Amino acid sequence: MKLVLYSGGTDEENIVLDKKLIELSGKKNPQITFVPSSSYFIESEFMEFASQFQKYRVNNLINFPVDVEYSEILKNEVLKSDIIYLGGGNTFYFLKHLRKSGFLRELKDFVKNGGILAGLSAGAIMMTNNITTASFPEFDRDDNDENIKNLKALNLVSFDFFPHYKNSLRYDNELIEHANKTQKKVYSCPDGSGIIIDEHKIEFIGKTFVFYKGEKFSLR
Amino acid sequence: MSDIKSNNYNSFDTLDGSHPFKDVVEDGHVDYEARSRKGAKIRYFNFDLAKEMGLLPKSHPNGLNNKLSEKILKTFSLMIINEYDIEHNRDFSKDKIKDAKFMATRYLQLQHDDKKGLSSGDGRSIWNGQFKNGKETWDITSCGTGGTRLSPATTKFNKFFENGDPSISYGCGFAEIDEGIAQALFSEVFYKNKIKTERTLLVLEFEKGYAINVRAHPSLLRPSHFFIHLKQGNYDNLKNLVDYYIDSQKHTKQWADCPGDKSKYDFFLKQMAINFGNMASVFENEYIFCWLDWDGDNILMDGSIIDYGSIRQFGMFHSEYRYDDVDRFSTSILEQRDKAKYIIQSFAQLVDYIKTKDKKNLKDFKNHKSLDLFDKEFEDEKNRNILKKIGLDDKEASTLIDQKIKLVKDFRKIYNYFERAKSSKGLIKVSDGISWDAIFCMRDIMREIPKIIIAKKEKISDRDFIDILKSHYATEEDIQISSYRSKMIKGFQDKYWDIITEVSLINKHSFDKQILKLSFRASKVNKFARVTGDSISLIVEQILKKKNSICADDLYEMIDDFSSVQSIYDDSRDADKLKHRDLLMKFFRIVKEHREGL
Repeated sequence: MKLVLYSGGTDEENIVLDKKLIELSGKKNPQITFVPSSSYFIESEFMEFASQFQKYRVNNLINFPVDVEYSEILKNEVLKSDIIYLGGGNTFYFLKHLRKSGFLRELKDFVKNGGILAGLSAGAIMMTNNITTASFPEFDRDDNDENIKNLKALNLVSFDFFPHYKNSLRYDNELIEHANKTQKKVYSCPDGSGIIIDEHKIEFIGKTFVFYKGEKFSLR
Repeated sequence: MSDIKSNNYNSFDTLDGSHPFKDVVEDGHVDYEARSRKGAKIRYFNFDLAKEMGLLPKSHPNGLNNKLSEKILKTFSLMIINEYDIEHNRDFSKDKIKDAKFMATRYLQLQHDDKKGLSSGDGRSIWNGQFKNGKETWDITSCGTGGTRLSPATTKFNKFFENGDPSISYGCGFAEIDEGIAQALFSEVFYKNKIKTERTLLVLEFEKGYAINVRAHPSLLRPSHFFIHLKQGNYDNLKNLVDYYIDSQKHTKQWADCPGDKSKYDFFLKQMAINFGNMASVFENEYIFCWLDWDGDNILMDGSIIDYGSIRQFGMFHSEYRYDDVDRFSTSILEQRDKAKYIIQSFAQLVDYIKTKDKKNLKDFKNHKSLDLFDKEFEDEKNRNILKKIGLDDKEASTLIDQKIKLVKDFRKIYNYFERAKSSKGLIKVSDGISWDAIFCMRDIMREIPKIIIAKKEKISDRDFIDILKSHYATEEDIQISSYRSKMIKGFQDKYWDIITEVSLINKHSFDKQILKLSFRASKVNKFARVTGDSISLIVEQILKKKNSICADDLYEMIDDFSSVQSIYDDSRDADKLKHRDLLMKFFRIVKEHREGL
């Protein structure tokens, strides 16, 4: 299983992760599909995404929103991509449409069959068991406008992921409480850092903090 | 300008009803006294437009303050003292009556039986005046300020009506809040997509949902303002008005090349042919329904849209849609070209009349060279537009048109075949007229095909092609693949690939790099969710439902954000930074759900 979890930030902050992602594919010009969290701003988001990877001479880039109807033929091509990259945005809206379109299930198969799955912020949370970490802290959370009840996500990793982490008590208290409740590790990454999983190997890029059993640890 | 800097808003004081038109055309307008109207709330104020006009300094915050609100209400919250008031000796307190007189202009309108414009024109609007900011002028009118003698109701019933008389609806002279907000929203979307249009400066709301909707444009003159004098054979008025229009265009540098002698009339006709050829083409390309007719109403002299009452933008090419206006059906999108051309034929007659003083029969101009120019501009814009939809930029498009015009035209022909395919269900009734559903969504194929080429690097099967293209209007019968359709699918893909190859040669790019570049633009130009007339109506409903919690500043921000997201030229908006995100997301959802409709 090959996964890359980005917290967020600018493309300059994510250079290491981007390079590692391309390396993971074993190709110089891998086909990367960008799946935005919603289609509303797809044009500008995809432009940004493309310019981020064109820097490394990657030109096989496709955008594939799942909250609008899509053709089977394009979906089949998308599932042949080397990398599928889930964008950031409202995690609840994203999950709703990944599930409704049936693409959530297909993503699992994609990973099982050796495809590389990357995700930024909401897209990274999607790789965990459920998207609860998008719902706190109150001052910095996604709104569940869609009022979705089933928060189960891809369940590809055994930990929870918290993006855009800021090293402050306001965040820490809520993360400790969450980790106590779930009895799972919460990897919390500031912007520019992230996690790479290559089969059984896990690598942390940049600073990462772990919340587990009432404690907070720094990994770097 | 110093007044603006000190924020006394004295710039508004120049809107005192004066306008050069009053002196240009004898009996071309009716003057009305006006009085202040109580109870107005500012529902919308377009800060961007006010700054562009120079009414507000660029540095002014995008928020109302007490002083500005007072000034807006004092300037625009007006009700005319009409003929009914005078007949009934209505007494109004002198301090409420404005010193200035405001004109309702006369122009031709087909809904008036005499067909000569003897009693037609601004039926519920007055001209607030002309605002000058040094290099530019702006005409400003208010709709909903009371019923004038030029309204169809006055002519039909041969009597004057009280302002707001509920028995006569449109003839009562009032406008409604939903029309004002719809017009503001729709016109800003068009403006930001570089489609020529009037714009809404502000909307005032009164009780019972009534409103005054204030519009602005550099010139709010319509062809019908000219045709009225042509119909009536009033040479002096016609010549004076054409001279005035030409001079004003020269003054604002719009027509800097216009000659000074008599050949200026030929220049005028040439510009009109270009404006209207381009406008008719844009309307057809963007599926904009605008009820054009021989009277030259519903459109401005430069081809800008005016009066959004019957304006729609379709999601697909529903070319048989006709609006049911009780006693007549409107024209259809495909007939707009002929109507626009007919307007140019009338302008050819008009110019000849000015030059010769001899008014010849309109039929004598059916082969006039200005009509060839109209056709040329129409076709040129069609060619540019199809390449824009593929994703080419202006420079690439003009090079390709210069070098490979046959390829462009061949592709257009095949594109038209799919765009114009109709449902087997035939003509159907819709809420406000009749229609015959288009079945293929061209934006979908133009947006998706470059992505598939990037991924698959080969052409797709007939079935896959139709699956991408089909809309929810298409039945199983509609999407059968006959041998002819199969041939067209092959043709479409062959020509499309040829065009990409040619552009990559022009740019000296690899095919892969070129298709990726085109896919960005194609995705923007062929938005999945583009507004339609129906979606605008539903969004306005949402706004009105929440109007008590949406102040004028909020509505300005919402319309500004919404229209920017809808623009194919604006990438400035970020989903996470939208101030009224929840409501805007609702609007976007409405647009998405109604994207194929009317």
